[in-house]
Amino acid sequence: MSGVAPGSGSGDSAQRGAAITIAGLTKTFWRGGEATEALAAIDLEVPAGAFVCLLGPSGCGKSTLLHIIAGFLKADRGEVLVDGRRVTGPGAERCMLFQSPTLFPWLTTRDNVLFGPRAQGKPRAAAEREADQLLELVGLGAFRRHYPHQLSGGMRHRAALARALINRPRILLMDEPFAALDAITRASMQEFLLELWERQRTTIIFVTHDVEEASLLGDRVCVMSPRPGRILSATEVRLPRPRGEATRDAPDFVVLRRQMRAELARACQ
Amino acid sequence: MTERSIAAPPLAAPVRRRGAAGLSRQRMLLSAASIILGLVIWQLTAMLVIRDTVLLPTPIQTGATLLRYLQMPYPTDGETLIGHAATSAMRIFAGFAIGTVIGIATGALMAGFRPFRALVDPFIEITRPLPPLAFVPVLVVWFGIGETPKIVLIAMGVVPVMAISTAAALDRVSEDMLNVARSLGASELHTMLHVRIRAAVPHIVTGMRLAMGLSWTSIVAVEMIAATAGLGYVILQAGLFLNTSLIFAGILIIAALGIAIDALLRLLQRRLDPTMSR
Repeated sequence: MSGVAPGSGSGDSAQRGAAITIAGLTKTFWRGGEATEALAAIDLEVPAGAFVCLLGPSGCGKSTLLHIIAGFLKADRGEVLVDGRRVTGPGAERCMLFQSPTLFPWLTTRDNVLFGPRAQGKPRAAAEREADQLLELVGLGAFRRHYPHQLSGGMRHRAALARALINRPRILLMDEPFAALDAITRASMQEFLLELWERQRTTIIFVTHDVEEASLLGDRVCVMSPRPGRILSATEVRLPRPRGEATRDAPDFVVLRRQMRAELARACQ
Repeated sequence: MTERSIAAPPLAAPVRRRGAAGLSRQRMLLSAASIILGLVIWQLTAMLVIRDTVLLPTPIQTGATLLRYLQMPYPTDGETLIGHAATSAMRIFAGFAIGTVIGIATGALMAGFRPFRALVDPFIEITRPLPPLAFVPVLVVWFGIGETPKIVLIAMGVVPVMAISTAAALDRVSEDMLNVARSLGASELHTMLHVRIRAAVPHIVTGMRLAMGLSWTSIVAVEMIAATAGLGYVILQAGLFLNTSLIFAGILIIAALGIAIDALLRLLQRRLDPTMSR
């Protein structure tokens, strides 16, 4: 599985997660002459390979921040650096995953996964081999010929993940990716993501409004305030890894969860 | 990974599909029965109530007339119904093709440039509700009595429908989907061609189905313009000579062609949009 676990080989070190530096980022939206301040002076350091959760109420500019990091939006002031290089537009090394899996409905699961390599004109045979391996990895090997509408919600998210991973992104930007899933599927997707991250150590910025999710996944949980969004606190999560279902019942986790809930409540005031 | 919870939904899918197929066969039988019932009522009404073949021919007489004129020219120095149908179809295809190209281009520009939309919108809104018949005299003044005014008249009906449906189809492609493509390393051009336009295509075909239907409904108006052939011409002529069964035969051919072409477009749509093929 050489294409999937970049951490295994010596020559793969460049494929590991990238460090992100966000400095003095502000963003204001104008609509009909009325200003909405979405982000006010965001500073954030994300070390390479870290898993950072942004926790905040809806409408606090979390998505806006992710869109700016992804390069879909331009900030009014401040900058985003990825491994020291300034972000000027979208790029395949930073892949965004949305709340809805947003698969292309006219492509089969396999062709969805192959979208990135095809768009970039990468060698076909290698890409196809890798796509098949990735589909096995996310448990969709038997569904490569299915169209998105024939898959269940969880399967669609796995397909979207495989589509993102084939580009070997160094950063995954996840915008409440599991918010629309039922509790059981969400839990299994969270564990799947953790497992994957343990293996690949891609840098992940994960936006959520779910306290438990943030506490379970992140190395660090940053709590954001409602509009204009700013980072109020950053809590290092020292729960042992690998984390999983058992972590949810650990006393430390329960304490952390309560603490984060209090932080979030304070942020909303 | 919880494979068990993942394997459950696909098992349900084929079952649902088989159910849908059974349902659609049931629906088709029902439709066929309704057509037969309609013909029977028509036959009985003509035979027992109206009892005047000039006022209302029976479906059997209509069928006989249709079969007769499939081989025999009408009028005697004219063409067979097949020839007339071909003439009408050529006019419609020419007008439809020209109208579709102009309409899609207009719609794409409307979706791409806001100022262009503001510029074009009033004209589309004004022309859309106008009856094609109203333009017949002015088209004759402008283009004479050849094929040109006939094709222009059909194209005029097609353009606004295609422009509106193309613009709407391109508008409804979500920004998230375009961002997904960009985030997967696609260039702006690749995103435009392979995502925005590709996602819009099934809805554009829906517009084509509407426009094609519209073209057939205006064929009689079109062939009021000094035509010497065509299904609309046959219907008008047959009306002058009180050959009612031939009027109905012409209407039946228009209906059959309209349905057949719509079925082709629907097939195309189903190939382009996998969520439809169930």
